Amino acid sequence: MFRKLLVCAVFSASVAAENIPINGTVEGNCIVVPDVSGVYGNPAVDTLSTATADGGILPVVRYDVIIADYYKAVITTPTSFSEAPMLDDVVNWTGGAAVHEVSDPGMSAYDTEKVEYNSTTEFDLTIAGSTWFEMESKAEYGFGKPFPGGNYTAMVEANCIAK
Amino acid sequence: MRSSIFLLLLWSGAVLAHSWTPTYPSFIPSYVEGVHVTNMILLNKRKDVKYYSVDVLTEDFEKVKFVSTSTVYNVDYLQRKSIPIFVREADLPKVMYICSRSEFIKESFPSNKVSSRVCSKIKQ
Repeated sequence: MFRKLLVCAVFSASVAAENIPINGTVEGNCIVVPDVSGVYGNPAVDTLSTATADGGILPVVRYDVIIADYYKAVITTPTSFSEAPMLDDVVNWTGGAAVHEVSDPGMSAYDTEKVEYNSTTEFDLTIAGSTWFEMESKAEYGFGKPFPGGNYTAMVEANCIAK
Repeated sequence: MRSSIFLLLLWSGAVLAHSWTPTYPSFIPSYVEGVHVTNMILLNKRKDVKYYSVDVLTEDFEKVKFVSTSTVYNVDYLQRKSIPIFVREADLPKVMYICSRSEFIKESFPSNKVSSRVCSKIKQ
Protein backbone atom coordinates (compact mmCIF):
# COMPACT_ATOMS: atom_id res chain seq x y z
CA MET A 1 0.00 0.00 0.00
CA PHE A 2 2.79 2.35 1.02
CA ARG A 3 4.72 1.54 -2.20
CA LYS A 4 1.60 2.30 -4.29
CA LEU A 5 1.15 5.62 -2.55
CA LEU A 6 4.81 6.50 -3.12
CA VAL A 7 4.59 5.70 -6.84
CA CYS A 8 1.41 7.76 -7.04
CA ALA A 9 3.09 10.69 -5.28
CA VAL A 10 6.16 10.54 -7.52
CA PHE A 11 3.92 10.37 -10.60
CA SER A 12 1.81 13.35 -9.57
CA ALA A 13 4.96 15.35 -8.69
CA SER A 14 6.46 14.65 -12.10
CA VAL A 15 3.26 15.75 -13.84
CA ALA A 16 3.21 18.96 -11.80
CA ALA A 17 6.89 19.62 -12.54
CA GLU A 18 6.33 19.34 -16.29
CA ASN A 19 3.62 21.96 -16.18
CA ILE A 20 5.34 24.72 -14.26
CA PRO A 21 5.36 27.67 -16.60
CA ILE A 22 8.13 30.21 -16.74
CA ASN A 23 6.73 33.56 -17.70
CA GLY A 24 8.71 36.55 -18.74
CA THR A 25 7.91 39.97 -20.09
CA VAL A 26 10.27 42.36 -21.77
CA GLU A 27 8.84 45.77 -21.04
CA GLY A 28 9.57 48.87 -22.99
CA ASN A 29 11.71 51.17 -20.93
CA CYS A 30 13.59 54.38 -21.53
CA ILE A 31 16.54 55.32 -19.38
CA VAL A 32 17.95 58.83 -19.48
CA VAL A 33 21.59 59.02 -18.49
CA PRO A 34 23.44 62.37 -18.18
CA ASP A 35 26.86 61.35 -19.46
CA VAL A 36 29.14 64.38 -19.82
CA SER A 37 28.86 67.58 -17.82
CA GLY A 38 28.51 70.70 -19.92
CA VAL A 39 30.69 73.74 -19.32
CA TYR A 40 30.23 77.25 -20.69
CA GLY A 41 33.25 78.84 -22.30
CA ASN A 42 33.49 82.65 -22.34
CA PRO A 43 34.97 83.45 -25.79
CA ALA A 44 33.81 87.09 -25.68
CA VAL A 45 32.67 89.36 -22.84
CA ASP A 46 29.05 89.12 -23.93
CA THR A 47 29.02 85.39 -24.82
CA LEU A 48 28.76 82.10 -22.97
CA SER A 49 28.95 79.03 -25.17
CA THR A 50 29.35 75.26 -24.75
CA ALA A 51 30.95 74.94 -28.21
CA THR A 52 34.41 73.40 -28.14
CA ALA A 53 35.72 76.18 -30.38
CA ASP A 54 34.55 78.68 -27.74
CA GLY A 55 36.37 76.90 -24.94
CA GLY A 56 33.29 75.11 -23.67
CA ILE A 57 32.34 71.48 -23.20
CA LEU A 58 29.23 70.09 -24.84
CA PRO A 59 26.95 68.24 -22.42
CA VAL A 60 26.11 64.70 -23.53
CA VAL A 61 23.05 62.67 -22.57
CA ARG A 62 22.60 59.00 -23.32
CA TYR A 63 19.21 57.43 -24.04
CA ASP A 64 18.83 53.68 -23.63
CA VAL A 65 15.71 52.11 -25.09
CA ILE A 66 15.00 48.43 -24.63
CA ILE A 67 12.38 48.10 -27.39
CA ALA A 68 12.50 49.89 -30.73
CA ASP A 69 9.95 52.54 -31.70
CA TYR A 70 8.40 52.99 -28.24
CA TYR A 71 9.86 56.39 -27.36
CA LYS A 72 11.03 59.71 -28.74
CA ALA A 73 13.82 61.84 -27.28
CA VAL A 74 12.83 65.47 -26.84
CA ILE A 75 15.76 67.68 -25.84
CA THR A 76 15.31 71.31 -24.86
CA THR A 77 18.33 73.56 -24.56
CA PRO A 78 18.28 76.40 -22.00
CA THR A 79 16.35 79.62 -22.46
CA SER A 80 17.20 81.03 -19.04
CA PHE A 81 19.78 80.68 -16.29
CA SER A 82 18.81 78.74 -13.21
CA GLU A 83 21.64 80.42 -11.35
CA ALA A 84 23.32 83.69 -12.33
CA PRO A 85 24.34 87.09 -10.97
CA MET A 86 21.79 89.92 -11.30
CA LEU A 87 21.21 90.58 -15.00
CA ASP A 88 19.53 93.81 -16.11
CA ASP A 89 19.47 93.23 -19.86
CA VAL A 90 18.10 90.65 -22.27
CA VAL A 91 19.91 87.35 -22.85
CA ASN A 92 19.57 85.91 -26.35
CA TRP A 93 19.68 82.13 -26.41
CA THR A 94 20.47 79.75 -29.24
CA GLY A 95 21.09 76.02 -29.13
CA GLY A 96 20.37 72.61 -30.50
CA ALA A 97 20.98 68.91 -30.13
CA ALA A 98 22.69 66.38 -32.39
CA VAL A 99 23.62 62.71 -32.37
CA HIS A 100 27.07 62.24 -30.83
CA GLU A 101 27.53 58.44 -30.67
CA VAL A 102 25.41 55.40 -31.48
CA SER A 103 25.31 51.72 -30.54
CA ASP A 104 23.72 50.80 -33.88
CA PRO A 105 24.83 52.30 -37.22
CA GLY A 106 21.19 52.81 -38.24
CA MET A 107 20.80 55.41 -35.50
CA SER A 108 22.98 57.83 -37.48
CA ALA A 109 19.82 58.63 -39.47
CA TYR A 110 18.30 60.22 -36.37
CA ASP A 111 20.17 63.43 -37.18
CA THR A 112 18.67 63.80 -40.65
CA GLU A 113 15.18 62.93 -39.42
CA LYS A 114 15.16 65.17 -36.35
CA VAL A 115 12.51 67.84 -35.89
CA GLU A 116 13.54 71.25 -34.51
CA TYR A 117 11.30 73.97 -33.12
CA ASN A 118 12.04 76.86 -30.76
CA SER A 119 14.79 75.52 -28.50
CA THR A 120 13.63 71.91 -28.75
CA THR A 121 14.89 69.02 -30.88
CA GLU A 122 12.93 65.78 -31.29
CA PHE A 123 14.46 62.45 -32.26
CA ASP A 124 12.37 59.38 -33.04
CA LEU A 125 14.06 56.44 -31.28
CA THR A 126 13.20 53.79 -33.87
CA ILE A 127 16.05 51.39 -33.01
CA ALA A 128 16.67 49.62 -29.70
CA GLY A 129 19.97 50.46 -28.06
CA SER A 130 21.91 53.47 -26.82
CA THR A 131 22.17 56.86 -28.45
CA TRP A 132 24.32 59.70 -27.16
CA PHE A 133 23.12 63.23 -27.90
CA GLU A 134 25.24 66.36 -27.50
CA MET A 135 23.73 69.77 -26.88
CA GLU A 136 25.06 73.15 -27.88
CA SER A 137 23.95 76.21 -25.95
CA LYS A 138 24.92 79.82 -26.48
CA ALA A 139 23.89 82.87 -24.46
CA GLU A 140 24.57 86.42 -25.66
CA TYR A 141 24.02 89.31 -23.30
CA GLY A 142 22.39 92.56 -24.41
CA PHE A 143 24.09 94.28 -27.34
CA GLY A 144 27.75 93.43 -26.79
CA LYS A 145 27.30 93.95 -23.04
CA PRO A 146 29.73 92.11 -20.74
CA PHE A 147 28.26 89.40 -18.51
CA PRO A 148 28.70 90.34 -14.83
CA GLY A 149 31.25 88.19 -12.98
CA GLY A 150 29.89 85.18 -11.11
CA ASN A 151 28.62 81.65 -11.55
CA TYR A 152 26.20 80.80 -14.32
CA THR A 153 24.15 77.62 -14.49
CA ALA A 154 21.57 76.63 -17.07
CA MET A 155 19.71 73.37 -17.35
CA VAL A 156 19.23 71.17 -20.39
CA GLU A 157 15.95 69.23 -20.30
CA ALA A 158 16.23 65.67 -21.58
CA ASN A 159 12.76 64.17 -22.11
CA CYS A 160 11.92 60.63 -23.10
CA ILE A 161 8.30 60.46 -24.19
CA ALA A 162 6.36 57.29 -25.00
CA LYS A 163 4.86 57.28 -28.52
CA MET B 1 27.63 40.30 -29.39
CA ARG B 2 25.74 43.56 -29.95
CA SER B 3 23.18 42.70 -27.28
CA SER B 4 25.91 41.97 -24.74
CA ILE B 5 27.54 45.32 -25.48
CA PHE B 6 24.15 47.00 -25.09
CA LEU B 7 23.60 45.28 -21.73
CA LEU B 8 27.05 46.38 -20.64
CA LEU B 9 26.20 49.95 -21.57
CA LEU B 10 22.96 49.76 -19.63
CA TRP B 11 24.83 48.45 -16.63
CA SER B 12 27.60 51.04 -16.78
CA GLY B 13 25.06 53.82 -17.20
CA ALA B 14 23.13 52.75 -14.16
CA VAL B 15 24.93 55.22 -11.90
CA LEU B 16 23.13 58.26 -13.33
CA ALA B 17 19.92 56.96 -14.79
CA HIS B 18 16.27 57.80 -14.30
CA SER B 19 13.68 55.15 -15.10
CA TRP B 20 9.86 55.41 -15.09
CA THR B 21 7.69 52.41 -15.90
CA PRO B 22 5.39 51.00 -17.21
CA THR B 23 5.66 52.57 -20.65
CA TYR B 24 1.96 52.14 -21.38
CA PRO B 25 0.01 52.17 -18.09
CA SER B 26 -3.75 51.76 -17.92
CA PHE B 27 -6.22 53.01 -15.34
CA ILE B 28 -8.51 50.71 -13.39
CA PRO B 29 -11.40 51.64 -11.07
CA SER B 30 -10.16 52.42 -7.57
CA TYR B 31 -11.83 51.83 -4.22
CA VAL B 32 -13.32 55.34 -4.50
CA GLU B 33 -16.36 55.56 -6.75
CA GLY B 34 -15.79 57.66 -9.88
CA VAL B 35 -12.01 57.62 -9.42
CA HIS B 36 -9.54 55.49 -11.40
CA VAL B 37 -6.03 54.52 -10.41
CA THR B 38 -2.78 53.33 -11.96
CA ASN B 39 0.54 52.50 -10.34
CA MET B 40 3.84 53.82 -11.66
CA ILE B 41 7.33 52.74 -10.66
CA LEU B 42 10.12 55.29 -10.29
CA LEU B 43 13.67 54.03 -10.06
CA ASN B 44 16.29 56.59 -9.13
CA LYS B 45 19.75 55.72 -10.36
CA ARG B 46 20.88 59.34 -10.40
CA LYS B 47 23.23 59.99 -7.51
CA ASP B 48 22.87 63.73 -8.04
CA VAL B 49 19.05 63.75 -7.76
CA LYS B 50 16.92 63.12 -4.68
CA TYR B 51 13.61 64.63 -5.72
CA TYR B 52 11.22 63.84 -8.54
CA SER B 53 7.95 65.52 -9.41
CA VAL B 54 5.04 63.75 -11.08
CA ASP B 55 2.58 65.22 -13.58
CA VAL B 56 -0.47 63.97 -15.41
CA LEU B 57 -0.78 65.63 -18.81
CA THR B 58 -3.03 65.93 -21.84
CA GLU B 59 -1.96 65.32 -25.44
CA ASP B 60 -0.82 68.98 -25.55
CA PHE B 61 1.12 68.62 -22.28
CA GLU B 62 -1.39 70.60 -20.28
CA LYS B 63 -1.80 69.56 -16.67
CA VAL B 64 -4.69 67.36 -15.57
CA LYS B 65 -5.78 67.29 -11.92
CA PHE B 66 -4.76 64.14 -10.12
CA VAL B 67 -4.22 62.88 -6.62
CA SER B 68 -1.28 60.92 -5.30
CA THR B 69 0.53 60.54 -2.02
CA SER B 70 2.63 63.59 -2.98
CA THR B 71 3.50 65.69 -6.01
CA VAL B 72 7.22 65.78 -5.25
CA TYR B 73 8.84 62.56 -4.06
CA ASN B 74 12.02 62.13 -2.11
CA VAL B 75 13.60 59.10 -3.79
CA ASP B 76 17.04 58.10 -2.59
CA TYR B 77 19.76 56.79 -4.87
CA LEU B 78 18.92 53.25 -6.08
CA GLN B 79 15.51 53.41 -4.40
CA ARG B 80 12.46 52.11 -6.27
CA LYS B 81 9.19 53.80 -5.42
CA SER B 82 5.67 52.74 -6.33
CA ILE B 83 3.54 55.81 -7.03
CA PRO B 84 -0.26 55.53 -7.24
CA ILE B 85 -1.96 58.04 -9.53
CA PHE B 86 -5.67 58.71 -8.98
CA VAL B 87 -7.67 60.51 -11.68
CA ARG B 88 -11.39 61.33 -11.81
CA GLU B 89 -13.33 59.21 -14.28
CA ALA B 90 -14.53 62.39 -16.00
CA ASP B 91 -10.92 63.47 -16.64
CA LEU B 92 -9.77 60.12 -18.02
CA PRO B 93 -10.45 60.90 -21.72
CA LYS B 94 -8.10 63.90 -21.43
CA VAL B 95 -5.20 62.01 -19.89
CA MET B 96 -2.43 61.09 -22.31
CA TYR B 97 0.88 61.16 -20.40
CA ILE B 98 2.12 60.52 -16.88
CA CYS B 99 5.57 62.00 -16.42
CA SER B 100 8.25 62.10 -13.76
CA ARG B 101 10.87 64.85 -13.74
CA SER B 102 14.06 65.28 -11.75
CA GLU B 103 13.96 68.27 -9.42
CA PHE B 104 16.87 70.09 -7.85
CA ILE B 105 17.27 72.13 -4.73
CA LYS B 106 18.51 75.60 -5.66
CA GLU B 107 21.59 75.25 -3.46
CA SER B 108 22.65 71.97 -5.01
CA PHE B 109 22.36 72.06 -8.79
CA PRO B 110 23.91 68.96 -10.31
CA SER B 111 27.29 69.24 -11.95
CA ASN B 112 25.98 67.76 -15.20
CA LYS B 113 23.21 70.36 -15.53
CA VAL B 114 20.72 67.98 -17.12
CA SER B 115 17.14 67.73 -16.00
CA SER B 116 15.59 64.42 -17.01
CA ARG B 117 11.93 63.73 -17.66
CA VAL B 118 10.40 60.40 -18.71
CA CYS B 119 6.77 60.22 -19.83
CA SER B 120 4.62 57.12 -20.10
CA LYS B 121 1.63 57.10 -22.43
CA ILE B 122 -1.79 55.88 -21.37
CA LYS B 123 -2.83 52.67 -23.07
CA GLN B 124 -5.88 53.59 -25.18
